This record gives sequence, C-alpha cells and structure tokens, in this order.
Amino acid sequence: MIAVVAASPARPTLVRAVCVREWREALGNKLLVGMTLLPPVVILVSGIAAVAAAAVNPPSDRDVQALYAAAPAVAGLDPREAVQGFIATYFLILFMLIPTVVPLTMAIYSVIGEKASRTLEPLLATPVGVGDLLFAKSLASTVPSVIVTWSAYAIYLATVIAIGSHAAVQAVTAPRWILAIVVLVPLLTLLSVNLGILISTRVNDVRVAQQIGGLVVVPIVGLGIAQVTGRVVLDNGAFLQMTIVLILLDVAVFWLARLAFQRENILVRWR
Amino acid sequence: MKTVVRTEKLTKRFGDLTAVDGIDLDVHEGEVFGFLGPNGAGKTTTLRLLCALIAPTSGTAEIAGHRLGRDDAKIRAAVGILTELPGLYERQSAWDNLVFYATLYGLAPSVSRAQAERYLRLMGLWERRDEPVVTFSRGMKQKMAIARAALHEPRVLFLDEPTTGLDPDAAKTVREFIVALRGEGRTVFLCTHNLDEADRLCDRIAFFRHRVLRIANPDELRAEFYGRATEIRLVPKPRAEDLVRVQAVPGVREAHLENGSIVVASTDPLHTNPLLVKTLVDGGADIAFVTERKPHLEEVYLRIVEPIE
Repeated sequence: MIAVVAASPARPTLVRAVCVREWREALGNKLLVGMTLLPPVVILVSGIAAVAAAAVNPPSDRDVQALYAAAPAVAGLDPREAVQGFIATYFLILFMLIPTVVPLTMAIYSVIGEKASRTLEPLLATPVGVGDLLFAKSLASTVPSVIVTWSAYAIYLATVIAIGSHAAVQAVTAPRWILAIVVLVPLLTLLSVNLGILISTRVNDVRVAQQIGGLVVVPIVGLGIAQVTGRVVLDNGAFLQMTIVLILLDVAVFWLARLAFQRENILVRWR
Repeated sequence: MKTVVRTEKLTKRFGDLTAVDGIDLDVHEGEVFGFLGPNGAGKTTTLRLLCALIAPTSGTAEIAGHRLGRDDAKIRAAVGILTELPGLYERQSAWDNLVFYATLYGLAPSVSRAQAERYLRLMGLWERRDEPVVTFSRGMKQKMAIARAALHEPRVLFLDEPTTGLDPDAAKTVREFIVALRGEGRTVFLCTHNLDEADRLCDRIAFFRHRVLRIANPDELRAEFYGRATEIRLVPKPRAEDLVRVQAVPGVREAHLENGSIVVASTDPLHTNPLLVKTLVDGGADIAFVTERKPHLEEVYLRIVEPIE
C-alpha cells in the first residue's frame, strides 16, 4: 500500500494542472476554438490584404491630402508610402482588440462552464486556496491569448517587411509599437480575463456575459477612430500613460474578481 | 473510541433562515454514521460546514484533529466529499479527471497515477479509463465521483446520497465500498434518504432537521419505539386458542395475529421466547419459524422526524 498524504499542492503544480485541464477542455470545445481563433485571423488577413492593396493601388490626390491632414507624421512622404505606413499603423491598433476578445471568451467559458456542469464544488473541496485557483484560471486564459496575439503580430510583421513600403516597415517595427505589443497585450489580456471572470460570477449565460464583456473593446475601437481622424497621436507619452492606466485597472479588477471568488459566495450565492 | 468529527453548538444562518441550529455531534473513527432528514433540513449545509467549504455563523468544530476556521485547508485535505451531483469534467477521460484531482490534493505524480489506477479498478472502470466521462452512465459517473472523493485516502468521507439513481448492481458496489472503508478504519458520514440503506450500513444514525433530533444505533431506536418483538409463524395458520395461550405467557406485553403469524412483544425475549415455543407446542401447534420482528426504520423515522412539521 502506498503512503498517501494529502496537502495543499505547490502553486506551480496547481497552476500547471489547472492550465492543462482548461486547455484540454477548451480544445475539446469546437465553438470555443472557433470563437477564439476567428478575431485574430480576420484582423491578420484584413491587415495583410489592406497593406498589399495599398501597395498595388495608388491613392487619389484627395485621399492623400486628407491623410496628410489627419496624420502629420506621414506628411511629405510619397503618397503610396504614406498610405501604406498609415494602414500598417492602423492595423497595429486593431491587433490590440485581440487580447480583449479572445481571453474574454475563454475566461467566460472557464467559469460559466464550471457553474453549468457543477464542477466547482468538488474543486473547492480540495485543499487549494481560492486565490491560487483564480490566479491559475486567469493564467489559463491569458497565456493562449497572448501567444495568439504575438503570433498574429509576428506573421503581420514578417508579411509587411516582405511586401510593404519603407514607411510601412518603419511603422510596424517602431520600438514603441513592439514595446506596446510586448507590454500592453499581456496587460489588456489580464484585464479582459479578470473582467470575464467577474462578469461570469454574476450571470449564467455565456452570450449575456460576452455582450457585457464586449464593452471592453469600446475604448480600443475609440482609440483607433481617434487616431484615424487625427485627434490622438500615439506617441511614447501616450503609451506610457496607457501602460500605467492598464496596470491600475488590472490590479483593481483582479481585486474585485478575488472578492467575488470566495468559497462560500461561489457555493451559496452563485446561481 | 476516537472521535474524528466533533461539533459544539455549530450553527449556520443565511439571513433569517437558520439552516443548522446549534448541533452537537461526536462521530467516531471507523464508524458509518448516518445523517437522515427531509429535503431542506440542512444536511448539505452541514456537510459543507464540516468540509470547511463554508464558515459557521457560530459554534465550533474539529474534524480529523483540525479546528474549523483555523485549519481549513488541512480539513479539506483530510476529508473527502461526494456532492449531490457528480460534477465531473465530462469532456475529459476518467483517468484525466482522477489524476487532476489527485494533483490538487497534493499527491506526487507517481502516487496520483497509482491512486487513480487503484480506484478505477476498485470501481470497475479501469477498462474505460481513457474514455470521456460524457459517455458514462449515471451509475458510472457516480462511481467516478466516489473514487474522486476517496482518492487521497481521507480519514473521513462525506457521502451525500451516494446511491441515488443507481441501478441495484451499482448501488451494491457502492455499499460494498462503504463497508470496505469501515473495514480500513475510516469514517463514513452518510447523508441519505434511503432508510433501508442507512439501516444496513450505519452503526449510528442522527435524525436531523436543522438540529439533531436523535442519535442512536438503529436497533436501539427500534427497541425504544417498538420494544423487541418476536414473530412466530405457525402452519397451516394460528388458531384463536393459540393466541390466547400466548397472551397468558408471563412476560408477554402484547400479542396479535398478523399475516399467518403471531406477533409477540415482550419485555425480555430471552426468557419469554422459550416459554412461548413450549406453550404453543404443548397446545398442539406446528411452528414453522421463530424470528425477531424488526420494524422498518421508516416507522422510527416518521415518528422522530415528521412530528416537528
């Protein structure tokens, strides 16, 4: 007979076990896989197509003048170069949508799925801490989303370098954008994940949770529109401000999710 | 006898509702302890309290030597719980489900695998270990959930309605498992509506409706409420004079005819029964069987639990 001594598992062991289980579960759900991969594929394909189209079709004078007015940074450049540079930059902002959409779906399924299948009680009956469990669940949704976004960006980067103009290549390889993808993407993902978990504690329907959680894309879309219309210039200062705001929001939302994710709340109040 | 679950005035309120009202329990090591009560009596809440899943409003409890509210993680490591619904990860295999839980109970990978194999074999599920749980029958899922609850060899196993919805074969496997656990010196805290099962398995039973109404051994309860009765079956059937003779035997409190038998309640069956047999045989009666009459536990339950309503 083997000596069996149960105890709280080490945090890395718990995180690994929860992540592997959640990923297996997610991969077995075709709808979830589809909903996870569709946004990055659409953004990536659209971005590449737009840059390629701009390389082939010369813009009209009117378009060029409007572009020079909206984006002073490209003023004076060859019109075709300027349009490609502008489109390449615009799609970089759209890449920021991926970490708000993809992990949200995963996080919502992660909690609402467990609620629906009544698997939370046995899970909470183990000696794991709920904070650790929440952290592990957050990570299980965050890691794939960051990997998907980075991969999509890498493909976009490689394609723009291959087919884009000098201005387009300069735009996508600008240090502040690379830093934004490296730093802002994980921060946005965490925000989206914990928001998804927080919403999932209150509702039982995946679609309702997605509709509520979908609001998180509004600021990103707004930022994109503001940049296109020249109202906002995304310089180093703007990125720094966004990073600070996101860190604060991440901490606040994780804290709220942690408050909602209590053993007794989950078992007695969650319905 | 060592106590593994002890509560003092343990209480749980949800707003104005008192689900568990100051219960005092002493559950011993190696016993099967039945916890019987109607729906909504607070049984599941009590289980959750004792598994450190929810916090008491007042009162104290010690489970497997650990204090509730202070050593909650240790309590959860020392107990296992079978919840009302199996709550398994249905897209995943039986094997993956058990290994995942073994990891969450802090077992080393080799121990996790060995325990998963042991319990899958014990529950007769080893051959289907790689199949997703969604393909399992209700009984198989329940056996999986029991395996999960016992996987880390807890000192106390809390089972909430373990045989509900199971076919007789699966229910028998579960009952045999409970008996085996007792044989290993482990304690089983059994919540059930199945009075026949409680009667067969439990060393002691607590009747419960928000508070503990009575705790006793099933036989003691029967003796207390119905006395000790003897059933004497005569062939072809008892005659009126047989009943008169029986009623005249010293020590007989009450005797009546019932379905071809004479049912006799006496204060001391050890002394009275030989006299009864002799009296009937001397009177020319042919005795087929003499057996102890056990009233069904349901009759005791209804007398203890129902009048509260």
